[in-house]
Amino acid sequence: MTTARVPAAAPSPSDLATELAVVVEPPFHVPRNPEELRLFLQAALTLEHLTIPPYLTAMYTLRPGTNRPAFYAVRAVVLEEMLHMTLVANLLNAVGGTPLVAHSRFVTGYPARLPYSRDRIPIALRHFGTEALRTFLHIERPEYVAEPPGHPSVADDEGWTSIGQFYATIRTGLVRLTEELGEKALFTGDPGRQIGPEHFYNSGGEVFRVSDLSSALTAFRVVTEQGEGVSRTIYNTDDLLFGEAREPAHYFRFDELLQERRYGPHDTPASGPTGPALDVDRAAVYPIDPEAKAAHYPPGGAVRQAADRFNEVYARLLCVLEDAFTKDPAALRAAVPTMLELRDLAERLYRNPHPDPEKRARGLYASATYEITDELLDRVRGLLAAPALGPGEAYGL
Amino acid sequence: MNAYPRPGGQPAGGHRAAPPHHTRRFDVIVVGAGLSGTLVAKRLGDQGWRVLVLEAGTGTLDTWPGHLDAMNTYYAAAAKVPNSPYRPNAAAPSPDVLDLAGLPEGGFRAHGYFVQNGALPYGSDYLRANGGTVMHWLGLTPRMHPEDFAVRRKFGYGRDWPLGYADLEGHYRAAERELGVAGDAQEQSEAIGLPFPEGYVYPMHRIPRSYLDDVVAAKLDGVPVRESADSPGTTLRVVTTPHARNSVPDARYDGGRGYRPAGAAGLPNYGERCVGNASCVPICPVQAKYNPLKTQATWDSRVTLVTRAVVSRVLADGTGRAMGVEYQAYDDPAAPVHTTHTAEADIVVLAAHAIENAKLLLVSRLAEHSGQVGRNLMDHPVLLTWGLMKHPVGPFRGPASTSGVESFRTGPARRRRAPFRIEIANWGWSWPAASPGSDVARLLGIPGDSGQPRGRGVFGKELRRRLGDGIGRQFSLQFELEQEAEGRNRVTVDPRHRDRLGNPRPVITYDLSDRLKRGMAAAKAVSDRVFGLLEAEDRTVYGPGPFSPGHFRFEGQDFTFNGAGHGAGTHIMGDSRDTSVVDHWQRCWDHPNLYAVGCGSMPSVGTSNPSLTMAALALRSSEQIHRDLTELHRPVTVRTGGGGGTDAASGHVPGPAPSPHSRPHQEVRP
Repeated sequence: MTTARVPAAAPSPSDLATELAVVVEPPFHVPRNPEELRLFLQAALTLEHLTIPPYLTAMYTLRPGTNRPAFYAVRAVVLEEMLHMTLVANLLNAVGGTPLVAHSRFVTGYPARLPYSRDRIPIALRHFGTEALRTFLHIERPEYVAEPPGHPSVADDEGWTSIGQFYATIRTGLVRLTEELGEKALFTGDPGRQIGPEHFYNSGGEVFRVSDLSSALTAFRVVTEQGEGVSRTIYNTDDLLFGEAREPAHYFRFDELLQERRYGPHDTPASGPTGPALDVDRAAVYPIDPEAKAAHYPPGGAVRQAADRFNEVYARLLCVLEDAFTKDPAALRAAVPTMLELRDLAERLYRNPHPDPEKRARGLYASATYEITDELLDRVRGLLAAPALGPGEAYGL
Repeated sequence: MNAYPRPGGQPAGGHRAAPPHHTRRFDVIVVGAGLSGTLVAKRLGDQGWRVLVLEAGTGTLDTWPGHLDAMNTYYAAAAKVPNSPYRPNAAAPSPDVLDLAGLPEGGFRAHGYFVQNGALPYGSDYLRANGGTVMHWLGLTPRMHPEDFAVRRKFGYGRDWPLGYADLEGHYRAAERELGVAGDAQEQSEAIGLPFPEGYVYPMHRIPRSYLDDVVAAKLDGVPVRESADSPGTTLRVVTTPHARNSVPDARYDGGRGYRPAGAAGLPNYGERCVGNASCVPICPVQAKYNPLKTQATWDSRVTLVTRAVVSRVLADGTGRAMGVEYQAYDDPAAPVHTTHTAEADIVVLAAHAIENAKLLLVSRLAEHSGQVGRNLMDHPVLLTWGLMKHPVGPFRGPASTSGVESFRTGPARRRRAPFRIEIANWGWSWPAASPGSDVARLLGIPGDSGQPRGRGVFGKELRRRLGDGIGRQFSLQFELEQEAEGRNRVTVDPRHRDRLGNPRPVITYDLSDRLKRGMAAAKAVSDRVFGLLEAEDRTVYGPGPFSPGHFRFEGQDFTFNGAGHGAGTHIMGDSRDTSVVDHWQRCWDHPNLYAVGCGSMPSVGTSNPSLTMAALALRSSEQIHRDLTELHRPVTVRTGGGGGTDAASGHVPGPAPSPHSRPHQEVRP
């Protein structure tokens, strides 16, 4: 399904000096055995996470208390990305895999190149604004989804052309392997590793256990349809899948913000939004350096401390997630206070003018950098394991 | 501000058009869109009846921008009292706890909506807005104890209910589903003796205990205390409290079908589990706490809600049947301008809060036979005690209270003194001393009396250190005492005291009985023992002053009490029309199609926070209202064949309303 709308122009990469980090993509073919399927699902997990720091950055650069329509729109998308991550972890666990989350390979670093795409689209940590929204539209774009590799129509392609194609490929592989091996031989994962609705709840969908082909296919639907919508409409399928209110898919929610106008009940992808105006105050935003690194902030300064602290707590969040996905689903409970801590740290960090006088003169503010190294992860794991300290205590909380 | 709800996704549920002042006729009129009214409308709308809900306040809170406006108002408020997030409304004024001020030598002065002429102040508020007072409730949902329904028969005081715990048990469960209750039924059963059906679990797992709860439990559990030298020991036990607050759904609920928590009202697919924002009273930012707007979102389209419609009178015909209501529609909550309309229905349900229900009955001169309308006003007078623990206990996190001590809710001592529940307060001294704001002010040298010069303050690191040390150790207990029905505690109306629309303001006469004061003395004695066991430094002080309108002396001791916001008992139910206002269906004895629902119907309130019981009663009444309506719409069968003159002639006319008085023996209680 092609949309008649002209896709947003690719953000100009010219303002980025650094080399784009590249996400490792699985080979361009349909997974042929369970081991490959697990590799593909781990890549999907990494992909779902890739979008979260840029979305969080857009959200946290809105000045607190302002731009609420934008805040709630981005927030809703972030929550659904978290749901997708959890469902992909369930898929991976269901087929006997072990999700890898707390690893430097999992967090590629930013700016990164949008994977599974023919175009060179940078994914940077940008403040809320036109550039960020255009990037998001690229990530969530509902476009013609090419057939999986091996299909005659893509015989000339040498690599992935879209995220949709990548997911369709995993789905095809999963269905084929189920047919070849049988459900029992493929879904060998420990059911005790599955995250259920009791462990995760944030509305806008619901996490469910994956144990067979049918639940696996439902998980694929959620992951793909919440983002891009269903054919020829602007809506996702939350109403069909979860009995919830029908909402525009991510792409169209971001488009509403960019165009500062709502989609109305009769609008289509072709019509664009014709509903009521949506108030976006682009001045009530903290502009940031899209290539900021913690090392740019003077050591010992309050901004540096806050940026380091943010990275530490983000690393802790990844450790908590990995524990929940690989050991005990109930560990997910600890993610909630950790995320609230991140929110508070973000408020404290982003409101500071950039310590660099030149950047400050350009009106830039300090920002979180999402630099997750193995050394940092090891340190955080050590703190978590220390018997005398509960979560948070290591941080004076 | 923007309309965040999508076009077509405006406040979901029910029908919200311009006031249908021309549509006069409905099956049911419900007065008040609070918890009771919302539940009655929900049940009757689902059964196909056309329901008109008239709400005196505004509907601003229905929408997400309205919710955010309330959040902002709360953040900006100097005093974070229960009504602080909700904007004043001159057309439908609400009482406020800030309306009361203590006098230097004792006694009190009342400003605001209530006129008070009693020996002691009635210290509770309510909220006139869509959603009602439950918008600012804490959300605790304990069931009443079975003995609470028969205090006169068992303990020789107050008034008995015409029904018992067993009659209400099924409706308790229905209410727990509707409100989404998190709790541990097995613990409630073991620790309090509440009967549940075999294997019953609440919709959601209990809200986790706070760290403070665990600290207190470690010192108190299993320890007997005596409230006086000659009394037997009562064994202490810290018990988690059921909450209408989203926690983890229990997969065992409903025969293994589980439970799906309800999200926020006004924003699609938003709303969460409790994440410990610690502002349940007066407003939950993520709407993890139940509020009636969540139920309204599921109203059938046959339910029509009209806000800014103040019912000024219930209209009745010469035979005592209610015909409908007269209401005042206003546009601007700040301007004393309105238009008057009438609406008619087969059944009228007053669900406007105990005090407003009584006011309406008094103004309409209805239900007068027993002389009890407005009498037996009750609350849960609260005694606060506070102190400092030896080490930090992490206050100001999570719901205001997650556990309590239930050991004093009933027992032989009840013959002599009022029983009480003890809530362990998670929010430090926020209620007794307005912490932490007052601590900051004190350390900055800002006196409580703004007329005094400012003293020397501490700043920076030292300020933070002292705040952290002091606030982190704050600890407080809340004793909720049962108040018994007394005819002298009452609501009246006086044409000299009116609000901006010309409606009478409630005139309140209120006092505490000696048995209640003895209960407070016992509560204080228990508190002293508990503070001793906890090795806490007691900082409790009771004395007259501007912040202590509820100060009194009893047997040589000073006390200060507060209201709990649990107004009850102004149209109590009973088994005789000579001594009570409503029957056990909450139907006025004198008017077969006029119901008065809510805490006002309760003849005794026990020590449980009353909303859950009120909800159970509303659901129970809805069943009878449905039966009444069904009968009204069922024609008498015309006998065929034999000439049957008069019977056949009257056969076209729908039969008269079922009257409980004419056929009292046919009523079957569940």
